[in-house]
Parts: sequence; structure tokens; C-alpha cells
Amino acid sequence: MSNVVTRNKFIVVAFVMTIVLSGLTFGNLPGQPVPPDIQVVDGIVYNFADYAAVDHEMLAIFNYLNTLVSRDYQGYGEWDGWYAENFHGLQHYVIAFMAYSVSFLFETTSGYRTAYYQNFLYDLIKKMNTTMEEWGENSIEYNEWLHPDYNYVDYYYPNDPNDTTAVYTGGFRGPANIMWTGHYALMMSLYERLFNTGEMKDEITWFMNDWENSLTTDGRGNPQDGGIWETGLIPCEPYIVFVQCNSVPITTTRLYDSMYGTTYFDSGMWDYGLDFINNVMQDPYDLFMDGYYVDRPTSLYYDQSRLPPDPRGPAQSPYADGRPKVSSYCDAWSLAFLDYTQPEETQRDYPIFKDLFLKDVSTDMAYIIDTYNNPQGFGTYDILGTLFSMHLANQMKDYATLDRLTNFFYSIFNKVWSSDGRMMYFDASDLEPFLTPVASFGWIYGHSSYTIKDITEARSAEFWDYPYISAADDSSIWVYQAVWDEHKNAFILNIKVDQAATLSFSNFESTPTAYISGLRFSELVLSGEGLYDLILSPGTYQIVIM
Amino acid sequence: MTMEINTDTVAQQDEQVKSSIREKLHIQYSHAASRTLLFAVAGVFLYIVVSMIPMPFRMVGILKFGLLPAVTIIALVGATRGSLAGFITGYLGEVLYGLLVYNVVVTMTLTAVAYGILGLVVGFGTYDFTNGRSLAKLSILAVIGFLITILLTVVIGIGVEKYSLLTAIAYLMLPLVTLGLPTLFFLTPVLAKLCFAVSEKVVSLSSYDPTE
Repeated sequence: MSNVVTRNKFIVVAFVMTIVLSGLTFGNLPGQPVPPDIQVVDGIVYNFADYAAVDHEMLAIFNYLNTLVSRDYQGYGEWDGWYAENFHGLQHYVIAFMAYSVSFLFETTSGYRTAYYQNFLYDLIKKMNTTMEEWGENSIEYNEWLHPDYNYVDYYYPNDPNDTTAVYTGGFRGPANIMWTGHYALMMSLYERLFNTGEMKDEITWFMNDWENSLTTDGRGNPQDGGIWETGLIPCEPYIVFVQCNSVPITTTRLYDSMYGTTYFDSGMWDYGLDFINNVMQDPYDLFMDGYYVDRPTSLYYDQSRLPPDPRGPAQSPYADGRPKVSSYCDAWSLAFLDYTQPEETQRDYPIFKDLFLKDVSTDMAYIIDTYNNPQGFGTYDILGTLFSMHLANQMKDYATLDRLTNFFYSIFNKVWSSDGRMMYFDASDLEPFLTPVASFGWIYGHSSYTIKDITEARSAEFWDYPYISAADDSSIWVYQAVWDEHKNAFILNIKVDQAATLSFSNFESTPTAYISGLRFSELVLSGEGLYDLILSPGTYQIVIM
Repeated sequence: MTMEINTDTVAQQDEQVKSSIREKLHIQYSHAASRTLLFAVAGVFLYIVVSMIPMPFRMVGILKFGLLPAVTIIALVGATRGSLAGFITGYLGEVLYGLLVYNVVVTMTLTAVAYGILGLVVGFGTYDFTNGRSLAKLSILAVIGFLITILLTVVIGIGVEKYSLLTAIAYLMLPLVTLGLPTLFFLTPVLAKLCFAVSEKVVSLSSYDPTE
């Protein structure tokens, strides 16, 4: 034996080193796909591959996000694990896009609506709405609006202290802060879309009326084309209008009309603005530009040397004289959010966007540059542009591009699992800790079965009568698929159970029966008024309940 | 007379050089060329299949550790069937992998040329897979070949694709160095030895005559 080793020293060393290398570095493998099943019950075929699914990693990421958001872990104005100290101006975007990401996830398993999911979104909305009065400098009101870096307080239009006729355009909640109000209202709208409580309807309605007034009148109730700022758009920061920021209230308007049968959008409140972004706020390639000033800004946040010659005009590129400012995150975000309202524009722009912004790093990796005016730069906004573009590529069903962007974005982050295997996050602390929660919910944002376009429309009225899981031992289960098939009148459940768990179903009219592999598994047990329980021991199940 | 002799000698030397190159590339006869092409096709197929397998890795700070087994296919084909087969495996493997899996051709296939160079460099050597020193030579040539690959991909990235230096270093160069070089140095000789052992076994089984 020793002779064999002696004669093959090099190969033995090489073999051992290969084992060591592969063993020590074994991690970060992609999650296993959800196992599909085909069952036949009473002659009807149920192919689980036909129903959207959430994968194991998304659920583990959600469990991690819950520790950042839930009131069970920290107060609404507490930010343990957010690492946003140096990014206070971006913090409310993290909250908003985290809300959109989990909304995609909740939509995928629309038949699983326990307090676990509902409370998460509720708490996230409360975090978004933390006020200076209650949480001081830990509030979003301070970090997004009152922070000395920005010092946005109260604003008037026009921006002229000597103009006594100027219209008051408000503070934190006012119409000059669409970068917060738009997201806040959309988060509430999605909450109502997903859980139908009615609790937030009045507050959303207040914003809808405020926006309509801003967009169609001079602010004093007199009709005016283009509204207060004569662009048909609502500014932020607070004298600049952005396509991306306005795409959010446009989405909110569509969703609101769809949920409550109103006609805000059809009445034309966004017509002027859509025309403005499609014809005026365009770069030389007919993509959206990143910002258009409606007046001279007052905040020192802006580089005074890059303002347009006139008070009103396109934001100027920091890299190229005479060119409008463009950015990939602006376009990717706007194209995705406006796809519901103007799909032909997104279809036309998407290939141009890829031509201008996508950089090939290797065969299997590509990223999105921040701006084609600075193709050799790389920083926070290139990373954000890549993240936003993953969602856009997913929505456009351009999965090859999505995979290449994913390979790039996630190629340098370790997946960190909790010791009990219930939580996972992408560790970006070596690059920038702020990116840890962002990269984590970003995985859901970029890879969900549903995208923003899918959830811009309300659920049908009948949906709320469909059977669903209303309570469960959430900390013991992984719900990959949970949806009522209204055509086959059966509930599709794909679930992994860690410890014995009970699932309570609402809306079944009579005692339902669960089937596994086409065979009768068990009858659900009546446990309360209209509640039927399914008790499962540890294991993985694909169940048809009817 | 002297002129004629010199012309003949030069022609003979030219022919010897050409013959030597053809031999080196394993295309000296038509059946040898066919065999080389067959190896390359098999290499391309294997390269694409192995490239599609997600590999585990571990980030330690900004350094990425793990294995990059696809590149060993290029080195192995170069080592067993010469520079031409090695180059084709790297070049076509990378081009077809892009086309079939991602529907892209990256940087006018220049990156693929860089991968082909790995096979080309390894193919320059001759190896005895039963000999430890020879396998060590294979490891070293594979590492040298891949260093050229890395250098070229970075130069192509910055010069032609024109992405940032930071991207080139953090997302391309460092991972290729920390994944590719150890893989080529350690895994290539192990696989070479394994392939040789398997082929020996196949040969001995095919020549086994039960009537003897």
C-alpha cells in the first residue's frame, strides 16, 4: 500500500487536495425545485406542474425577512439588521420593494393567507409610516424627508419665496413627495388586494383624491392641463419629476380602480403625464430619462453645476455635457411597472434597453450598467440596475437574460442558513452590509412566478369565497403551492412539514376530503364554525382537497 | 548542382516541419484527423454538459473558492489529442454553451478564443498518464494555459466589451484565479489518471478472448 502511495505521490496529493477543495467549499448550491405530482381523482387530472410554486429558498428568505420586519422581533422604528445608516435616503425604497417582493410570493400561494403573511405586510406598512413624532430620528419621516442631507420640509410651487400666490404643496405626506406617498399607497393597496380587510381603503382614497387634484387642477381647484406642475406628473425631492416614481401611483390607480370599481384612471388623470413621459421625458434612444426639473431645487443635495439651463428641463447627465441623465434602474423599474398600462411601450423599449445597458461579462454572466453615459463605471447604481432588470427580464419572460443577471449578481454572496434550517439570507457584508436584506428579498423580486404586472389587477369577487388556509402552525411548515382551482373545484396543496402541524381551512361548504396520489388520505375535521382542520405529520405532501 | 541540393534540402526541411506540426496536431493522416475531430466533438459535448452543472462555492471575503471542472475537459482533450482538439473543445464548447443555454455569442467569440488557448497550450506537451512527473507537467501546463486565458478574458473585457476594471477583477479575474487554477492543477491529473485507467480497462476487456 505504502509503495503504491510512494509511487503515486503527486496524484495522491492532487486527489486529496481536490477532495479538500470540494469539501470545504461545498455550499451555495441552487435550491431543489418543488417536486411536481400528477394525480387523478374522480377521473380528473391534477398536474401540480400546472400551478405556480414558491421554492424552498424563497420561503427561507421570507422567514429571515420576518425577523427584520415583524413586531414580534423589533419595533416599527427599530432597524436591527437593515444596515441602512449610510443609506437613509434609500431605506424607504428597501421597505417598498420588499413589500412588492413578498406580494408576488403571497400571490403565488394565494390559498395560504394566515396571520403570518398578513401581519408581515401590515408591519412593513407601519414601518414605512414611522413618524418623527413617535420614533424621532429612527423614523422614515426623518430619514426620507427631514434629514439634514435633504432638509425637505414644507414646499410651495412655484419655488419663489416672494410669490404670494404660490400653492402650498405640502410636507412629508404632501403631493411633492411622490417617492414616499406613491410607495406607501401602493403597499396599502397591495395589502387590501391580498387580504381584503378594508382597513386601509380610506387612507388610499385620500391619496387618490390628492393625486387627482394635483394632476388635473392648479392646486386650488381650478382645472389646469398637466396639473400643478404642468407635466401631468407628481414631483419629489421636491422639484423634479421622475418616471419611475410616478409609475408607482399609476400602478396604484389602476389597482384601486380595479378593486373598488372607480374610474380615476379612465377619467384621464394620468393622460397628460403618460404623454409627457412618452414624448418629452425621452433620451436620444426613446428610453425614459432619469428626472425632469419643474423648478429650481432648493436642497443642496443637487450638483448645482448639472442643473438644466432653464429652471424647467431634463436633469443633466453627470458624465456627458448636454445629455439628459439616464439610468438603468429608472428604466427597468418604469418599464416593468408601466407594462400593465402601456405594454406596447415596454415591448418596444426592452430590446433597446438591453442593447444600451447590458454588459456581457462572460457567457453565463452579464450585468446592467448604471448609465450608458459612463459605461466603465461600477457602483451601487449598477448593482441596483441589475437587480431591477432581473424583475423586468422575468416579467418579459426573458429567462436567459434573467439567468445571466442572476449568475452575476449572486455569484459573490454566500447563502447563510440558520441552524434550524428555517431561515436563509444572502450575505453581502463583505461588499456592503446594506445589500444583505436587499439581495435577499431581491431573489424573490427577480424570480417569483408573479410580477408587478400580474398583481396590478384585483382578484375576482368570487375569489374571496374560495376555500383557503386561514390558520396554520406556520413555523413548522413550508407551503410551496396552495391555490384553489376554480375550474376543477379543488384545493391544490404542496407542503413540507417539519413537525406535526395543523392547517385550518375556511370557506369549505361541507366536510372536505384530502387525496394523495389519487387515493383518499383523510377527511378534514370540523374544528369551529366553518373551519376544517387537516393534521399532517412530518413529511412532504402533494394533496388535492375537495 | 549545389543550388539544386540546397533547394531540395529546404523543401525536405519544410516538409518535415509541416509533417511534425501535423503530427503534433494529430492530423497527419485522414483517420488521425477524424479521430482528433471526434475527440474535439466529444470534448465540446462534455464541456457544455459540465458547464451546465451548478457547482458549489464558498466566498471568503472577496475570494471565491470551489471547483471549476468544465475547464479540465479542455485540458484533458488537449493532453490526450493535442492542441487542435484542445483548442476546438475550448472555443466551440464556450461558443455553443452560450448559444444553447443563454442564446448569446459573447464579444464576437473572442472570450471563447481565450478558452481555446488553454487547450492549445496543454496540447503542446506529450504526457505519460502513468507517470507522476508527466502528470505534474500536465498540471503546470494547464495552469500556464489558463493564466493566458484569464489574462485574455480580462483584456477582452476591458478593451473590447469595455466594462469597469472593478468588474473585471472582482467578478471575472479573481473567481477564475481562485476557482480555475486550483481545479486545473489538482483535478486535471486526477481525471487524466482516471480516464487512462478506464480506457486501459476497456481495451483489456475488448481484447479478452474467453476461448483462450
